[in-house]
Amino acid sequence: MDLTKELLLDMYTKMNKIRKFEERVSELFAQGKILGFVHLYIGEEATAVGVCENLTDKDYITSTHRGHGHLIAKGGDLKFMMAELYGKATGYCKGKGGSMHIADVQKGILGANGIVGGGLPIAVGAGLSAKLRRTDQVAVCFFGDGASNQGTFHEALNMASIWKLPVVFVCENNLYGISMRQDRHQAIADIADRAMAYGFPGVTVDGNDVLAVYEVAREAVKRAREGAGPTLIECKTYRWRGHFEGDPTVYRPKEEVEEWMARDPIPRLARYILDNNIATEEELKEIEHNIISELEEAVKFAEESPYPEETSAVEDVYTDLVEEGRVR
Amino acid sequence: MSKIGIIANPASGKDIRRLVAHATIIDNNEKVNIVKRIILASQELGIEKIYIMADTFNIGYKAVNDLVYLKQLKADVQILDMPLTAGFRDSMVATSMMEEKGVGCIVSLGGDGTNRAIAKVIKDTPLLPISTGTNNVYPSMIEGTVAGIAAAVVASGLFDKAATCNKNKRIEVYKGRELVDIALIDAVISRESFVGAKAIWDQESITDIFVTRAHPASIGFSSIVGYKEIIDDGDDVGAHVQLGAGGETILAPIAPGIVRKINIKKFNLLKLDEDYIYNAENRGIIALDGEREIPVRAGDCILFRISRNGPYQVDIRRTLEIAQKSNFFRKV
Amino acid sequence: MRQLTYAEAIREAIRNEMRRDPRVFILGEDVGKFGGCFGVTQGLIDEFGEELVRDTPISEEAIAGVAVGAAATGMRPIAEIMFMDFVTVAMDQLVNQAAKMRYMFGGKISLPMVIRLPEGGGLQAAAQHSQCLEAWLTHVPGIKVVYPSTPKDALGLLISSIRDDNPVAFIEHKLLYNLKGEVPDENEPIPLGVADVKRPGRDVTIVATGLMVHKALNAANELAKEGIEAEIVDPRTLFPLDKETIFNSIKKTHKVVIVTEEVKRGGWGGELAALIAEEIFDYLDAQIVRIGSLNVPIPFTTVLENYVIPNEIDIINGVKSIL
Repeated sequence: MDLTKELLLDMYTKMNKIRKFEERVSELFAQGKILGFVHLYIGEEATAVGVCENLTDKDYITSTHRGHGHLIAKGGDLKFMMAELYGKATGYCKGKGGSMHIADVQKGILGANGIVGGGLPIAVGAGLSAKLRRTDQVAVCFFGDGASNQGTFHEALNMASIWKLPVVFVCENNLYGISMRQDRHQAIADIADRAMAYGFPGVTVDGNDVLAVYEVAREAVKRAREGAGPTLIECKTYRWRGHFEGDPTVYRPKEEVEEWMARDPIPRLARYILDNNIATEEELKEIEHNIISELEEAVKFAEESPYPEETSAVEDVYTDLVEEGRVR
Repeated sequence: MSKIGIIANPASGKDIRRLVAHATIIDNNEKVNIVKRIILASQELGIEKIYIMADTFNIGYKAVNDLVYLKQLKADVQILDMPLTAGFRDSMVATSMMEEKGVGCIVSLGGDGTNRAIAKVIKDTPLLPISTGTNNVYPSMIEGTVAGIAAAVVASGLFDKAATCNKNKRIEVYKGRELVDIALIDAVISRESFVGAKAIWDQESITDIFVTRAHPASIGFSSIVGYKEIIDDGDDVGAHVQLGAGGETILAPIAPGIVRKINIKKFNLLKLDEDYIYNAENRGIIALDGEREIPVRAGDCILFRISRNGPYQVDIRRTLEIAQKSNFFRKV
Repeated sequence: MRQLTYAEAIREAIRNEMRRDPRVFILGEDVGKFGGCFGVTQGLIDEFGEELVRDTPISEEAIAGVAVGAAATGMRPIAEIMFMDFVTVAMDQLVNQAAKMRYMFGGKISLPMVIRLPEGGGLQAAAQHSQCLEAWLTHVPGIKVVYPSTPKDALGLLISSIRDDNPVAFIEHKLLYNLKGEVPDENEPIPLGVADVKRPGRDVTIVATGLMVHKALNAANELAKEGIEAEIVDPRTLFPLDKETIFNSIKKTHKVVIVTEEVKRGGWGGELAALIAEEIFDYLDAQIVRIGSLNVPIPFTTVLENYVIPNEIDIINGVKSIL
């Protein structure tokens, strides 16, 4: 397998972009500039990036409430993302979606999703659509360990399997469904085992190793594109932050968090790049520097953008109807 | 008092070969069942104390709980009190703890990888490996009940270890003078430069294969050698194969479901304790028993040596035959 | 003019649209060789094949969700939920995904999908196979809700629903499937949001939906014998609602009776009553009368079922109560 410099540096860029974006969001949330609920992806960067490096803009993804990482990995624009988090008219969803519903349909991103397990059948529908339209598009469905206990998980895996759809199910097993540890919420350790029940392969992989995720996803995407049907990839990973910003995380020991933070996927990739003389430390520094500029531009764009007209609240429900407004 | 240990690796059996090679799946709940069958069989044949490795899936606890509820547990079972890393180190720690406690046999549930971890530390306790991995040569596919019986025979202390076990070979990998790692079956040098999904399955990147044993009835990279020459564990010899154009081409099952044409450039038998020096010209990685482990950089000098320093592996058929002939199973 | 049954008209609309647009396909439980639980999709598999007339496992939420995903990516699915009662199992995908996706994404996606929902009692199918749950859907912004009462309306409205770029819940009454009626020779769409006056009258307006349109027509014939002329308005789409036609009728008759088969409490009929009270209260000469099923689960045995579901007598009594 050829790991080109271009690929490795793109991975490094995207993982850092996710990390720095999320860290900035955390600050802005604490300052009260971003409202609502935000669920940060810090610690899980290798999973989104390792998977999405195998996709093109034509491929689809469905995402989750913890969706910023998937968006960035699939090519989402930080400006429009940040503006959406600020609730501005220039945001991806014109201020109507917020963190949990950011979408970029042009890039194949069928939206973050506030319903746990909600994206699973939608990804299957996108896979069915690709198959019916005779394209070679692939639909990747990101979901968490918690979602693997939803009915949609079972319905979606079954349907994708009987119809041999080009769907890759990517379970981000970050060990907790909100506060409930995996060993309390299901009687299996490896969610990949569940693929067996639906008759297709399930693979468990270190979700904090971007190269491992990339390699497994590459095979799964290839399998999907060639018409061989779905794959379930379980990426073992961990969210460093709480379920949402403001979550006091009383349900998990500090040692556990520290242990997982020691497995930080970003320095792991950096070490690989440097050890193999693929890029210099200066090149990596420059990448990080560029991300910070891009991010600050995004924040500036968001801050300077206008809020939407309040009357736009009744638009976009239907393609051809505007709901009744309010006279104030 | 007859004692055995059980090491069940919860992580074996779900790597990328599941995806690329139609490999078999044994899920952890089935491992719980296998452990139950080992306990049930061995306790009937005189085992009074069983130590089980702690693990992240709680295979041992789950097996014991079920047997307690069903009032089927007679032996005293203890789950080892040990810190968990959820990695191969757990198997190593458990092995050492079990040897300290004087078990007469360790039964392992895992693949070549799990047994390689055990083999790194095990001293002279007989090892009875049950295959739950993907792509295994070392452990055998054997019913847990039979394994439990054989373990009880070995642990009874009534039979000579030389009769019931084979002292295995192993491949020792040295960087400079330092023994950096071992393999029980094969060591493979690949042009891949990263550990990635760990399992090695892409033959195109492989340049060299070292084996302790080789047989056409096995699967994986050792089979490539086996299609050329049969080397038993008992033979005081191993082999080194260089892949590449210029030699002969054979067909071999390099992974479950993957039978490929392999070009063998050079084939050499390696005598026990003979050193093979490998000077790396490019970066690459060494896979041990199917798992990418040791990164290699251009200019590295690596030494491979085949020795007979491997574990004592229980020969299940021979053990049961000896027991039968000695009336071990006759109850008065 | 042709004669088609209500079921044939639905099939004709689907066939028409599948021939016209390769993006249209059907999915649902037993819609293929079996032809659908009520035979509505019979024969379509022979013309379009099993890929486009797609049998699904019994997984309502995935049926709805797959329709959402397919609609979001360039197809125009028609999903059948075998009995409307089972829509409860698919509610997340309809309510939280289909209805909201366009809005949540700032108008940057459209979901051209139809969910067909056979509803209604009268088959002794008891509490889990007889419900009329239209209010569950009209309550949710983002879905259009269509409910034809005749073969002609079924044909024209379904064509429009399939061509609509929004999620459309298309409700069918099970007892109407065998109803024969005149249908234009050309398969013409009937626009959504346009009510139809099924019978002109001057004394009272009866707004009725689905099967109740026919019960209201029977009741009106009886009332006519006593010289009472009821005007019957069939909204045909519950949302978007043609308030104008309904309100114009009431402005003429100054009395209104709303007849729906749904359980009265919290029903769509209550919403209509509230709209009338809010917007044209001054035109009313009497209180608004709502007639619906009793507030109980639909019972099994005929005598009980008949008691619970409104009939012509209930409608006549309702009308007379405000004359």
